[in-house]
Amino acid sequence: MTVADALMLALGVIAVGSGALVVTSTHLVRAGLYLVVSLGAIAGLYLVLGAELVAWVQVLVYVGAVVVLLLFAVMLTRAPIGPSPDLDRPAGPAALIGAGVGLGLSVLLMDAFRWTRYELPPPGTGRRVGEQIFGAWVLPFEVLSILLLAALVGAIVLSRPDIGARGGPDPAAVAPPPSPIDESPEVVARLERIAARQAAAQARVRAQHAAEVAAANQAAAAENGAAQNVATVVEAQPDQRRDPSEMTRDELLRQQAHDVVFRAREAGPTLGGEDPPPPDTGPRKVENTVGEPIPDEEQPALPPPPRELPKGDDA
Amino acid sequence: MHAVIPYVIAALLFALGVYGVLRRRNAILVLMAVELMLNAVNLILVAADASIKSTLTGVQPEAWAYPAAEPKAGAIFALFIIVIAAAEVGVGLAIVLQYYRLRRAVVLDDVALHEHEHEDEERVTG
Repeated sequence: MTVADALMLALGVIAVGSGALVVTSTHLVRAGLYLVVSLGAIAGLYLVLGAELVAWVQVLVYVGAVVVLLLFAVMLTRAPIGPSPDLDRPAGPAALIGAGVGLGLSVLLMDAFRWTRYELPPPGTGRRVGEQIFGAWVLPFEVLSILLLAALVGAIVLSRPDIGARGGPDPAAVAPPPSPIDESPEVVARLERIAARQAAAQARVRAQHAAEVAAANQAAAAENGAAQNVATVVEAQPDQRRDPSEMTRDELLRQQAHDVVFRAREAGPTLGGEDPPPPDTGPRKVENTVGEPIPDEEQPALPPPPRELPKGDDA
Repeated sequence: MHAVIPYVIAALLFALGVYGVLRRRNAILVLMAVELMLNAVNLILVAADASIKSTLTGVQPEAWAYPAAEPKAGAIFALFIIVIAAAEVGVGLAIVLQYYRLRRAVVLDDVALHEHEHEDEERVTG
């Protein structure tokens, strides 16, 4: 057990320990930082093994570039800063295969190199490595530089779809969208979604307006002592629809479309006799931020409701 | 020096990389685990470069095992693998970011390998 052995053991413990933290940590950013520690310890192992050039290239390329690139990707995919609970699959098969690979390789290599001793190589091998690279290995070196160029161009083309799409029309992109007249399941599902959304918005507006009218009437009733107004107004508000759970799907769809088209006017300003304030439906929820905008495609399927709500259409 | 130490360290790192690739659902973490595996292989190459020569001293100098034919070949291989890993991580992250831009997700289980679907899923999962 020499000093080099002890050093190598310590660096190996650091490398394997932080490597284990890389694959088990629930923080994305911490996993990247543990990767820095692990790669740095491996660079130390290269130094002890006498490959100085590889060690410094490891520090430059891996710690300096690759990990920074990974952290950039973590940032650009908007990973949460806290722990992410759904980062892992169930551990069983992965642990089984990992432990099998580790045990098998360790036993194999221990069996092969158990009694091997070797001397520390002489330091200062950068010159010899350079001579070898540009002598015996010059053809792989050039091929590798072409590979790097191809990877560079490929990464740029991949991350810029306007360049990548110019080569040829994507068959998925030029395929005509399904006709909205067809009652395909997607169209029906979308119609149902839109109808449900609008019905929910109308119910919200109606309930809010009813509450306001009831409050106003209560105030008036407190002055006048005519409290029976409240009951009539509040009674008039609830939906006369049947319970949606006992309708069939077609009936429900028809009912919702009917709601969208005809019942919208009832929610309008005639209800209370006075102009209701614009309903506050909260911030608009953006449903689909990527891809083709769905509402444009669905517009012909549903007749636009005639001035249904003052500002509260949520479609 | 005991040659078995770097080899066993490399084997354990490779096993950790395999475990991470199989376990993680996030594409970026899978790339990190792939980096661990590549480093394990690099460590084996460098350790072999330093230790195989003395192992082969007693062997007849055949053509396939001549120790001094290509000195530092392991280190040069390790350098080449580092370059290939850098290229791999660049293209891989470009793919991951493009997929994130299209689908707002980096979860590997949700990647649809078959046809392009019209329904977009709004899943933003770290």
